[in-house]
Amino acid sequence: MTGAPDIGELLRELAPEVLGALVRRYGRFGACEDAVQEAMLAALTSWPASGVPDSPKGWLLTVASRRLIDDVRSEHARRRREQEDAAATPVEQPWEPGAEHDDSLTLLFLCCHPALSGPSQIALTLRAVGGLTTAQIAAAFLVPEATMGQRISRAKEAIRASGARFEMPGPAERPARLGIVLHVLYLIFNEGYTATAGAGLTTPELSGEAIRLTRWLHRLLPRDAEVTGLLALMLLTDARWAARTGPDGSLIPLGEQDRSRWDQAKITEGVALVSAVLPAGQVGPYQVQAAIAAVHDEAESVGTTDWPQILGLYELLEQLAPGPMVSLNRAVAVAMVAGPAAGLGLLGELESDRRLAGHHRLHATRAHLLEMSGDLPGAVTSYREAARRTTSFPERRYLTGRAARLAE
Amino acid sequence: MKYLLMIYGNQEKWESMPADAWRDAVARQEAFNAKYRQTGELLGSYGLADAARARLVRRVNGLPAVTDGPYLETKEYMASFWLLDCDGQERAEQIAADMPFADDEPVELWPVLHESAADQ
Repeated sequence: MTGAPDIGELLRELAPEVLGALVRRYGRFGACEDAVQEAMLAALTSWPASGVPDSPKGWLLTVASRRLIDDVRSEHARRRREQEDAAATPVEQPWEPGAEHDDSLTLLFLCCHPALSGPSQIALTLRAVGGLTTAQIAAAFLVPEATMGQRISRAKEAIRASGARFEMPGPAERPARLGIVLHVLYLIFNEGYTATAGAGLTTPELSGEAIRLTRWLHRLLPRDAEVTGLLALMLLTDARWAARTGPDGSLIPLGEQDRSRWDQAKITEGVALVSAVLPAGQVGPYQVQAAIAAVHDEAESVGTTDWPQILGLYELLEQLAPGPMVSLNRAVAVAMVAGPAAGLGLLGELESDRRLAGHHRLHATRAHLLEMSGDLPGAVTSYREAARRTTSFPERRYLTGRAARLAE
Repeated sequence: MKYLLMIYGNQEKWESMPADAWRDAVARQEAFNAKYRQTGELLGSYGLADAARARLVRRVNGLPAVTDGPYLETKEYMASFWLLDCDGQERAEQIAADMPFADDEPVELWPVLHESAADQ
């Protein structure tokens, strides 16, 4: 993602439309996906010299179709069975316009098929819908390209084996399937947000990519409240990106961030989105999380944050999407509204939850509340315990540093 | 999320193993490796040389000083390790339990602290 609206960006916008049209016509998702990747690589090498064609999409469709035809023909020659697949042999015919939206959406649903594992859904979505190359995806996840290639071909194989068809899920199935799609997009966002970018020109910035895809989905489904909620949540979280790490890569908690470094344009857009959608009444977890982020983003400091409102939102979230992490966050809000003792009381109740036992977030939250209450030795012990249990390196540094500072 | 799997062993145990049992064990291990390379979850599998080949390297007066031996005086030492990148702890435990050697000896599983942990 380098500066000016370049050929790479144009290609990635077109990727799902081209692939969707191809799969609709020929079936064979796996082969079509390879053909589109090859067509995109061909465009990347020839367009800079020849200029972007008048109809870039038509160009890509033609080139990808030819690859597909070549593939099918060589397959036939190898097998010496020419009749069997005759029906699937691509024939050049005009492409009907207008089906792009449906096709792209169907494609996204297919990439997030429940038969695939989480990492496979992510990899396939980034390649087939996001238009990234295998090398770029591998670089973003810090794994060898061969490993990522395996993951993608495995995902295609799983789709083939599941018998999934290139069609929109039916009305009964659709909310659950859209839920997976949103979850995959949110995972991509978080992966980018928590990573300290191993910057390099070939490493795409994953949170930016997740926002681009969610924005695109929002254009396709403008009336879906949770799609809007997720886009708002990403923007409101991403707005704090520059302020959340120090120059040495260390983690800066919300309360200590330099709020003048927050991205006001993103905050404005996120707040507008969530404000427009909340009163409509189809409340869901992403909208509520976006609303919480909006309250934080609009406050000038931790002290002036509207904690009673945040507490109310966490109570609502706990009803919509109960989970141990939501309860932990509610405990923090309770402490901010009613004092640390009330928050610690709530934590005591959560300790019996097996999903939380030994989880670093439980220890980190207790440490934070003990610090608030003035029990510094207790806070030091809990910060250290949390540091031992986290699997995130920046978080470990932060927690260890916090313990050391209090112990002085 | 990345994970390190390790298996340990000792000289005595390996020397007591009959030749065809070795061949069989290696084949089963190869099958495990191929299986998880294909799923895109195994980043690499590495077998270590005999402990007799281990060296300790120090710098003395700015020059390398090399002596024999593993650092810790134990009978057991690391034999092989695997690097995984998979969905999470639960999946890593599943894969570890699929190791051919897991029938006889435990497989040590460590989360790798790296900076792209999407740990929510």
